[in-house]
Amino acid sequence: MRSPAYVRALAAAPELLRPNWSRRLAHLAALGLTAAVLTAMVVDLQIAPGAIFSGVDKLGRFARVAFPPTDGGQLVRILRALAETFAMAFAGTVIAAIAAAPLGLIGAKTVVSQPVVHFAFRRALDWFRGVPSLVWALILVSAFGLGPFGGVIALALADIPRLAKLFSEAIENGDARPLEGVRAAGLSPLMALRYGLAPQVAPVIASQCLFFLESNFRNAAVLGIVGAGGIGFELQERIRVFAFDEAAFIIILYMVCVAVLDTVSQRLRAKLA
Amino acid sequence: MRLQPAESAPPSAVEDFERDRRSVLRRRRIEALAGMLVFSAILVASFNHSQFFSADIGGDPLGRIGDFLGRMNPKLAPQALLADRATKGSLAAWLYDLPLWLRLGWQTVEMATLGTVVGAIGGLAASFLCARNLMPIPAVRFAVRRSLELIRTLPEIILALVLVAAFGVGPLAGIITLAVSTMGSLGKLFSEINEEVDPRQLEAMDASGAGLINKIRYGVVPQVLPNYASYALLRLEGNLAGAAALGIVGAGGIGIELQRAITYTEFDTYLAILMLMVGLIFVIDIASEAIRHRLIRLGGPE
Repeated sequence: MRSPAYVRALAAAPELLRPNWSRRLAHLAALGLTAAVLTAMVVDLQIAPGAIFSGVDKLGRFARVAFPPTDGGQLVRILRALAETFAMAFAGTVIAAIAAAPLGLIGAKTVVSQPVVHFAFRRALDWFRGVPSLVWALILVSAFGLGPFGGVIALALADIPRLAKLFSEAIENGDARPLEGVRAAGLSPLMALRYGLAPQVAPVIASQCLFFLESNFRNAAVLGIVGAGGIGFELQERIRVFAFDEAAFIIILYMVCVAVLDTVSQRLRAKLA
Repeated sequence: MRLQPAESAPPSAVEDFERDRRSVLRRRRIEALAGMLVFSAILVASFNHSQFFSADIGGDPLGRIGDFLGRMNPKLAPQALLADRATKGSLAAWLYDLPLWLRLGWQTVEMATLGTVVGAIGGLAASFLCARNLMPIPAVRFAVRRSLELIRTLPEIILALVLVAAFGVGPLAGIITLAVSTMGSLGKLFSEINEEVDPRQLEAMDASGAGLINKIRYGVVPQVLPNYASYALLRLEGNLAGAAALGIVGAGGIGIELQRAITYTEFDTYLAILMLMVGLIFVIDIASEAIRHRLIRLGGPE
């Protein structure tokens, strides 16, 4: 039965060919444990198979209502809401980038070389990164009333800690030698940053900002849902009254706009790189 | 002192170079100027259209923020800190619904975990179907790739809105939302990993006559498992924050309590839940980061 090649291999490295039962058992146990934990979670959340089927059934009904999509005679209003969403995303990203630039400098090990400051600052940023923009929006809308102002600030607040972290990493990754060279030439620290550091990190930072603009435009729909205006509000109204043909129109239009912005921004980012 | 052109280069070559250089510089300046103009125009239009400066926000924004922070202060009284719920200023009065919040927080973790697992499995299947070195039929690759792109374009919250309408208020809608969007992003990342595997092992498997399933099991998976796990964990971190936010539209988890606290203007409660939520995300982030770093160090190509 056994080929000569197998016999030779068995003689050379028996442990590779003999089934390793203890290891197999350990793998099986780990797999079983994972499955048990996941099942316990499903049970704990009280997810019934019936709910899944009836939900899928309802989704099918929604889909039948959704075609053909229609603008319901409110195209101008929808386009204005889309523009508002983009405006919130753009303004929020710009404000976040401006605010994150000095924070990124402070957070960079190569600029502020005080380890305690660096550690405390990074941890504080980590803490704030946990707050999603929707949570900021919820509180800002109740502080400033309904309208896009709260939405812009919410996007900016959610982005500042994330951008600051990316900026400081970009700055740390920059080559230190140009900075030293400019310093050695006797320029002030500010000038050293301008001529030693900025040319290296500006393309990286710009491409990160574009990336955040894309993601903000995609997420800005969230803000409408808590009352910050824009396309999310329009959409929620349609879904609430089960007008899925109009909702489908808005969703498709929105996705096209997202795709266009993504493409433009990807082109720009490719040019920067 | 001006440099004399070398004998071999006729004077016209230098002139040509200077002219080219000037035109390149001029073009760059015009490009930069045009870029700045477009950027400024969009910026002005954005601030204008979002009514950033013109909206009626009740005046004195900084004062309002201060006022708001004041109302979020739970006003704990040091002498009554450990008193019962009925006493004002005690911890128990501030965190009056802590067991419920902890349960909802745990529910959020469960939602994120299940959504990530289901989405990762879906993404895994999709990634093999659209990897250039594993799927020989271009039409299938194209279709899977485009569907994944479509999913990634769809904002999570919009999916959640539709799914809450279909599956009812509760964690199920949230899990499906997270699973679908996780599948979209992990499917792409996994397929990129698949395409970067060492082709020699796949060739060896081809030569020994292995089928697609065996090729994946013995040729691809051992090479890529650590990278898969690392990406899935990264996604789990994101999904936890996502799950917390999805609750606000009724998709289960802690978000619903956050929404309720705002609606009833219990701003000190809002602060308590927010701190709980951020703490939860923070802990999971640190744990997952530690695991990821270990995975990459153990299994990554070095």
